[in-house]
Amino acid sequence: MARKVSSIMARGTLVVALAGGALGIGRGALAAQVPTGLAEIRTHCAECHREVSPGHFDRISEERKTPEGWAMTIFRMRQVHGVQLTPQAEAAIIQYLSDVQGLAPAEVRAGRYALERRPNVPDLKLPDNLNVMCGRCHSVARIVLQRRTPAEWLKLINFHVGEWPYLEYQDGSRDIAWWRIASKQLPAKLGRLFPLRSAAWRAWQHRPHASLAGQWIVHGETPGHGAYYGTALIRRTAADRYGAHYQLRYADGARFDGASDAIVYTGFQWRGTGTLGGQSVHEVYFASADGARIRGRWFLIKHAEIGGNWAAARATGRAEVMAVIPSALRAGTTQRVVVVGRALVGRVNLGPGTQTTVAAHKPYGLILKVSVAAQATPGYRTVRIGGVSTHDLLAVYQHVDRLQVQPAFAIARLGGGTLAAVDAQFQAIGYTEVAGANGKTTAVRLGAMPVTWSVVPFDAAAAQRGDARFAGTLGQDGLFVPSGGGPDPRREFSDNNTGDLFVVATHKSGRGSVVGKARLVVTVQRWINPPIY
Amino acid sequence: MSAKLLVPAIFAGLLAGCSAFGTHPAGHDFIVTAAKPGQLFVVDPRKMKVVSDFAIPGAHDSVSTIVTSPDGTIAYVLVNRARSIAGINLRTGKQVFRANLSAPGERVQCMAFDVTPDGKTLIVYEYRTHLGIDSYTVETPQFALFSTAAGAYAMPERTFPAPRRIQAVLARKDGRSFYALWPDVYEFDLRTGQLLGKRGLLHWGRADHSSADLSINSPASEPTGVFVAPLYSTLTGSGLPTGGVSATSLMTLNLHTGKLAYHDISRTAPPIFATILSPNHRWAFGVFDALFKIDARHWRIVKQVPVPHSFYMVDISSNGKEVYLGGNMCDIAVYDTSSLRQRGDIRLPGCGDQALVTPRIIERR
Ligand code: HEC
Ligand code: HEC
Repeated sequence: MARKVSSIMARGTLVVALAGGALGIGRGALAAQVPTGLAEIRTHCAECHREVSPGHFDRISEERKTPEGWAMTIFRMRQVHGVQLTPQAEAAIIQYLSDVQGLAPAEVRAGRYALERRPNVPDLKLPDNLNVMCGRCHSVARIVLQRRTPAEWLKLINFHVGEWPYLEYQDGSRDIAWWRIASKQLPAKLGRLFPLRSAAWRAWQHRPHASLAGQWIVHGETPGHGAYYGTALIRRTAADRYGAHYQLRYADGARFDGASDAIVYTGFQWRGTGTLGGQSVHEVYFASADGARIRGRWFLIKHAEIGGNWAAARATGRAEVMAVIPSALRAGTTQRVVVVGRALVGRVNLGPGTQTTVAAHKPYGLILKVSVAAQATPGYRTVRIGGVSTHDLLAVYQHVDRLQVQPAFAIARLGGGTLAAVDAQFQAIGYTEVAGANGKTTAVRLGAMPVTWSVVPFDAAAAQRGDARFAGTLGQDGLFVPSGGGPDPRREFSDNNTGDLFVVATHKSGRGSVVGKARLVVTVQRWINPPIY
Repeated sequence: MSAKLLVPAIFAGLLAGCSAFGTHPAGHDFIVTAAKPGQLFVVDPRKMKVVSDFAIPGAHDSVSTIVTSPDGTIAYVLVNRARSIAGINLRTGKQVFRANLSAPGERVQCMAFDVTPDGKTLIVYEYRTHLGIDSYTVETPQFALFSTAAGAYAMPERTFPAPRRIQAVLARKDGRSFYALWPDVYEFDLRTGQLLGKRGLLHWGRADHSSADLSINSPASEPTGVFVAPLYSTLTGSGLPTGGVSATSLMTLNLHTGKLAYHDISRTAPPIFATILSPNHRWAFGVFDALFKIDARHWRIVKQVPVPHSFYMVDISSNGKEVYLGGNMCDIAVYDTSSLRQRGDIRLPGCGDQALVTPRIIERR
């Protein structure tokens, strides 16, 4: 199911982007006509969802959601209610509904992690009993990313029980009067927390969509690989559709180029499909209101848990330092440092204990050669280039005092059959402790450190079961790949290859080694994998 | 189950069968079970053999609760995602009763049902949803009473409103009322639908215990007519760690007398999915990842043995000598009740999943 829903969006993106591009349709040309999406709704949806007034359909017009949310609903209209749609019609409807009944940027913020498919992020905490009532089968992000009238929330709750009557019998429901609470209390509560009508949406709804075309500077980080940087060229191919080309490199010089086709929904939600570093990826990015920045996460189409952060800013504009790669320099070393930024001219100074020469000017910033004195004081450095300065983007350290493995708690899932395993990517963030003026020590974040990785059983029971041997393998890039699913005859009771482990990172330096660890639970397959978990 | 177990199983089965025959001249037990996609089986535990294998019409890859008629001639099986009940004659395999609960515009799912002791009425607990053109509306659940003589297009003879979350319907042996379980123990008049009584179950009101948690997986109460099910709670009090300890109790509801009782059997016991009481009321047996033997006089687990895989359901022979483990996967495991040694394993042809099917015992002459 999952694969189907996400491929709908991916396919729609490509097909429509190409068609739109080839025909050269612009906004103006369509302005006087009925939008394609609206026409498609009249054709495919109005048979059941009455058009009560022009453009206003029962149910459909009484809720607002993200493009992923619309895609999931339409997926159900096809699966459960037999609606037949071409990919083009579906893409047009999703785009239209996301524009006329989408969410404003402020309304997306809290649930963004779910759209970005960030792995191992704890679910949001909603007020009162909402997590107990509604957060058992799916994330509450699914709820936070919708807006409805109380009557519409009530209809959704009716749909839940009508579709899954066993809901009330499950652990977590059967000890409470689930239906009474859900039907009597929640509609008003949800309608208040997540209302159909909001000031944020009123303000955003009719704003002209900023064009994202142009030259961009990009930086980001792929857990397991490190920081990357470079440029992007984004071209507009049709209204709200773009083609992008990326010229990127990792800090070690490895190329990480790519290209994508994207639809921008609701004026700010970039959904792209393409390649990065030779792998097929989805991009879930968000543009700022003025169209000057784009941030988000890309991830592998087949493994949403593997991906990286993405930040882009216009190549022209006020001088600005965006990132320093690497973000920490050890005392007594000389190395190449990339300062990612815009309009960086003038004298470069990385603060006490450093000596810097500019090796090259690049479209994405500066390449420096930096020597750090052996006795340099550890701590953050202010980076000054010409008239601009930034704090906290660069640190100097003598040694790593502490390692924090991220995520601190991860879940990996066994694969099997047609289901891909869910991997877990770890990284070890280093910290150095520095004495502050008040006598307290503060931790200075150094970023991902080179470490050696290993797994040990979480407890005696896990040791006895041999979890560390059976559950999967942890690579030296911090990527845990689970074993195959299904009963394993080598295990007691032919158990699944599940496991409960500690993932251990060890960083060696002159002063000995520093260790950090995280818990990893390897569990069974997840049979469905919708765009909003 | 591997083939290597089968040979000794059959051999052991023959021996077990002889002894059962010796002590039980009236007739002997057969196990009725079902599996996906829609097969109904009659199993002879004496011969360790499947004696009938019937296809249930319109099961749509979904079979669950089985209720057998008191005379052991018909099995009523919940099929079609709980939307139909098929009554199958256990000699001929013919469908002699069919209730399709849903209708256009209305989705009806049976969440629990039972047959009255005279075999004449099915008491069906229904969840109902009105399916509008573009929205669903959840309706009040109801009890629907069907005549078992209604044939292939059975419609309810009468209905009356019911509470939500009912997990089991258990006909009282006097034929005048029935119990409906969870979150309370309700008793309803069979004729009028009038609520005759209500006793707390979720809120069982036991000092030192948290509220109870119950998930009824099997409504089987034969041969004693006493329904037994495991309940979980947290026990707090002096001498116990803060936060308490988890406690496993059994509830017994006597369908002859209406007596309801709770018996604490253990703290921190592994989970038990279903339980059954021995004919002489001396033992109870429970199953999940292990088979448990419970002393039903002193209410404690006296023995526990691992089982080859999880089983969800347990039945007992009418002479009390064997228990039959079923539900989940495609075999019925036969265990000796005194030693808890496995006597054999009966594999169902086709190896469809029994999932949450509730095997039942019938007696045939
Ligand atoms: C054959 C009838 C039918 C057609 C055609 C149909 N729907 Fe639906 N729709 C339903 C029904 C029934 C429900 C209520 C049950 C549910 O939510 O699945 C529903 C519910 C909805 C809801 C509310 C869902 C929610 O989350 O509460 C939306 C939005 C919706 N449909 C959109 C659409 C769109 C867009 C189309 C056209 C692509 C469409 N429907 C076509 C029958 C239909
Ligand atoms: C028994 C598990 C379960 C519980 C409990 C549950 N949901 Fe859902 N919910 C689902 C499933 C499954 C879907 C996916 C429906 C589909 O096929 O599109 C869903 C879908 C949704 C959607 C997206 C619907 C759409 O088409 O836009 C929302 C919003 C939602 N649930 C809100 C809630 C709320 C609010 C509650 C608490 C009152 C709740 N859920 C409780 C299982 C559950």
